[in-house]
Amino acid sequence: MKISLNWLKDYVDLSDLSTDEIVDKLTMSGLEVEDVSDENELYKNFIVAEVKSVTKHPNADKLSVCEVFDGKENLQVICGAPNVAAGQKVVFAPIGTIIPNGNFQIRKAKIRGVESNGMICAEDELLLSDDHSGIMVLNENLPTGKPITEALNLNDVIFEIAVTPNRPDALSHIGVARDLSAIFNRDLHIPEIKLKESKKKASDIASVEIIDSTNCPRYSAKVVLNVEVKDSPEWLKNKLTRIGLRPINNVVDVTNFILHEIGQPLHAFDLDLLEGKKIIVQSTTEEKEFVTLDSKVRKLPKGTLMICDAKREVAVAGVMGGENSEINSSTKNILIESAYFNPSSIRKTSKALQLSTDSSYRFERGTDPGITKYAAERAAHLIAEISGGEVAEGIIDVYPKIIERKEITLRYQRVTKILGYEISKEKIHQILSRLGIALKDINETSLLASVPTFRPDLEREIDLIEEIARVNGYDNIPVVPKISITLEQKVDQQKFEDEVRNIISSLGFSEMINNPLESEWEAKLTGNPITLANPQSVEMSCLRTSLLAGGLNSVKRNLNFGVRDMMLFEVGNVFNKKSDSSIKTFEDISEKQNLILILSGKEEEKFWNTQEKYFDFYCLKGLVNAFIKKISLDNQLADLYYSSENEIYSYYLTKNFKQQVVGTGGKVKRDVLNKFDINQDVFVFEFDLTALKQISPESKKYIEPPKYPKVHRDFAFIFDKNVQYLDVKNFILKKASKLLKSVELFDIFESESLGRDKKSMAFTLEYFDESRTLTEDEVEKDFNYLITEILKEFKAKLRG
Amino acid sequence: MLDEIINQIQNEFEKDILEADSLKKLEEIRIKYLARNGSVTLLFDKLKEASKEEKPVLGKKLNELRNSITEKFNSKKELLEKSETSAKEFIDLTLPGKKVKLGSKHILTQTLEEIKQIFKSMGFSVFEGPELESDYYNFEALNFPEDHPARDMQDTFFINQKFLLRTHTSPVQIRVMESMLPPVRAIMPGRVYRNEAINARSYCTFQQVEGLYVDTDVTFAELKGTLVSFAKQFYGSSLKYRFRPSFFPFTEPSAEMDITCFICNGKGCRICKNSGWLEILGCGMVDPNVFKYVNYDSEKYVGYAFGMGIERIALLKYGINDIRLFFENDLRFLKQF
Ligand SMILES: [Zn+2]
Repeated sequence: MKISLNWLKDYVDLSDLSTDEIVDKLTMSGLEVEDVSDENELYKNFIVAEVKSVTKHPNADKLSVCEVFDGKENLQVICGAPNVAAGQKVVFAPIGTIIPNGNFQIRKAKIRGVESNGMICAEDELLLSDDHSGIMVLNENLPTGKPITEALNLNDVIFEIAVTPNRPDALSHIGVARDLSAIFNRDLHIPEIKLKESKKKASDIASVEIIDSTNCPRYSAKVVLNVEVKDSPEWLKNKLTRIGLRPINNVVDVTNFILHEIGQPLHAFDLDLLEGKKIIVQSTTEEKEFVTLDSKVRKLPKGTLMICDAKREVAVAGVMGGENSEINSSTKNILIESAYFNPSSIRKTSKALQLSTDSSYRFERGTDPGITKYAAERAAHLIAEISGGEVAEGIIDVYPKIIERKEITLRYQRVTKILGYEISKEKIHQILSRLGIALKDINETSLLASVPTFRPDLEREIDLIEEIARVNGYDNIPVVPKISITLEQKVDQQKFEDEVRNIISSLGFSEMINNPLESEWEAKLTGNPITLANPQSVEMSCLRTSLLAGGLNSVKRNLNFGVRDMMLFEVGNVFNKKSDSSIKTFEDISEKQNLILILSGKEEEKFWNTQEKYFDFYCLKGLVNAFIKKISLDNQLADLYYSSENEIYSYYLTKNFKQQVVGTGGKVKRDVLNKFDINQDVFVFEFDLTALKQISPESKKYIEPPKYPKVHRDFAFIFDKNVQYLDVKNFILKKASKLLKSVELFDIFESESLGRDKKSMAFTLEYFDESRTLTEDEVEKDFNYLITEILKEFKAKLRG
Repeated sequence: MLDEIINQIQNEFEKDILEADSLKKLEEIRIKYLARNGSVTLLFDKLKEASKEEKPVLGKKLNELRNSITEKFNSKKELLEKSETSAKEFIDLTLPGKKVKLGSKHILTQTLEEIKQIFKSMGFSVFEGPELESDYYNFEALNFPEDHPARDMQDTFFINQKFLLRTHTSPVQIRVMESMLPPVRAIMPGRVYRNEAINARSYCTFQQVEGLYVDTDVTFAELKGTLVSFAKQFYGSSLKYRFRPSFFPFTEPSAEMDITCFICNGKGCRICKNSGWLEILGCGMVDPNVFKYVNYDSEKYVGYAFGMGIERIALLKYGINDIRLFFENDLRFLKQF
């Protein structure tokens, strides 16, 4: 919202305060000033100059060479405007001036070979309007050489203020001035109205009827007769243009002026265009079309609050007037609407029409039901004054159920309790009074505050405490460097995931964070997705059902960046619908936390002492097992191997806790990778962290390292190719004596000489006993026994 | 019989030790004679087979043999070690070392961890809540009336009339208070969603940390104390700050905390929109209406709450100019932190 400092000064004396001081205090009491535009700075070099002569540019048809007198000397200036003429007074930007529109500096330049020493300005270049049809031609009486800040009164300061939704009262100059009056403890002057009214009674000329009084609690109307619709006087145009409004005509300009002065939106109807000279306020009972004054056809939903005449709709209440009753150049008699509408009704309409106006913005936040009469009278007075009309006597004011001021008890001790410091009673009284709050029943411990109707946000004691705190300044609240310690049980629900991130990153993985919103086809790859009702795009229309698609997209992006070797991980929530029926309760939703590990490209690069090596399934499995070992679940989870494909993997492994699968991963299928445009192998493992978190890890106990020597024995066999390592290992462990403590595969190979369907596997066996040194004999005996058994069981051949 | 073998071994050893010209060959000698299966060691095994009379004599001889061999072996070893270190082979120490793969936690995770650590040290617990929330927890119980413009402050992704993606972590406040009685002191980190256009400045999802403290004697002054202490630990002890009135439906009074822009030192720059200040968090005293929803007695209990966005903090702290970089997962970006 734009607020003019000069305008504010109409209501509160700020003459002794610097702009910085005002800006700082406004911001620090809750009206945040986001931007300050000081015209004295903006226009500081511009002066009034006189065009002495104009000749055609020798090398360009559309340019003129002008001689311009700046009060001291004649300067040659090139101008492109069609309306430039000798004798004009113009706004001149000398060399070195910064042009507000575009923020560029005027330099001495040659334009098509002719020297130019400055610029003659158009309105848009000065940000005075968006008119660029020609240069600004000034009143010929203005003195040449005078700065335009003086000559054109461009000496205002414009604030851009961000008003929070709870402060509808501050959406006007008087509203902001009221806060300043409280902050600086000085009087607020609200303009008095000296109405001159004619003998004709408004109530004889027009009438108002409210049918939907829930959504329109009050409707006040003034009638002004015999107006002449024309341009507004300079002072009014000036006020409006300063805050970025375009002057239209004297009637409409006055209604806009009142809105920005006191915050009451008004609407002026051409009274002669109102059938039956009657206003009826009612909600639509069916869908309708209506043409608003911007000439757009609007679809009104059922239940839209409308202003009607005896026959038809004439305005969308609180949002925008209709084309059919708009003020036009031939309007003679007008009816000024000044109403209070139910905020949520206006908000619904504004949302449904996707139309937000200065009026609807204020109505939906809550205007002052008590100000409608004043606003209508002030508008009527101003319109009559500047348009030569006469104000009909009296006001039509339909207000079936008066909205009373709220009364709130404030306890002084409560102020101290909430804020943590004491504010004197006198200060409290002063602040509240300056804000327009009437103080009643003041006693030792409390007061009764009567809250004006322009403060719908003040409903409870705590709301008054906030007013006191903010006006007195949050800076005055002490910083208490203590925290009262209660030794309650501490909880950290993120301890597990923090630990997981530490472990996984220490294994060499880098953490990703992917957008949980993805396309339907991606989400459907891995689950039953939940769809957004209002997605931004089809690419982000579903919640992810696993971390796979996000991860593969990151793989793809890295490939595009030229990064081919990657170890990536992510911890994130995934969402699934539990059934196909619609979501009615939390029971219909599954939201879990997952962990994904991704390997792609090379594990080892070719280096001076190593060969290159690509990631494979066994890298993945080893890293997964390392992780499980680190979270102490290695003895809790069982592996299941699947050598044939599923939807995602060519082959894969699952980690299982009892009957539950808690993790799945393997080599991602080529057709899945093709969908993501990835042309190299990717190995993925995804854990259900929510499930892992539930499994209690084995408690760790110290096991003493063996004191007696270990004995190692190796053997190698030729097996049929389809014999699985794990089967042989388990067989050995089953058949061996208790002294055998571990079996490790240390070599595996296939070759022509072994035979096409054969392979060799070599194992190291480790024997020891915790209580004594083993003898050669007992080891030899067991070792030989194992050889015989393996030869039998697997029809293998001993290689050595 | 054994005598002969002893002499034979002795002679053979003399020859071998003379010829040994490297530590490698010396090691072969050790294995041949002195190791577990070495010829001298094996002779000791044979001692068992000797007669009672022979044993002491042979034992003595064997010991002499072993001692002599060991001694000669050791002196030769010393000699060779000396010569090898003085006349070593050329070794290029400038060759590159092994490339160790280092993983990394996301910079947002690291930022969040740092924040969590500070609040945990002040006695805050850590709680979580769902990202897919109900309208009740995300808005209603936080005192956002239906059809109120306050709801426009947060553009929302809806699942349907009743469910949505949470727009802030504040609903976890309600869940925590529902689950326990005061004192409650907790932070609640998590992912939130906003239906905002994706560009360099904004993204459709980001992380927040919510804080809540409810007890019988909590004050605004204490809220300021806690947050100033946090900010000084996180941003540095020399920082300047200010608390500015603001509006959140679930706190009253509400404030925003600004710190001096550390890019321009308060002089005003593009990042701080020329104000010299950077907003880092929102906070306030828990609104009594919120206590009503969780059945806390608002006469008895007072509370404060605060919330901050992690992405914004990390952008500022690490001088990152585009929020989308956080979600691209370019390894060249991830590995920098
Ligand atoms: Zn700055």
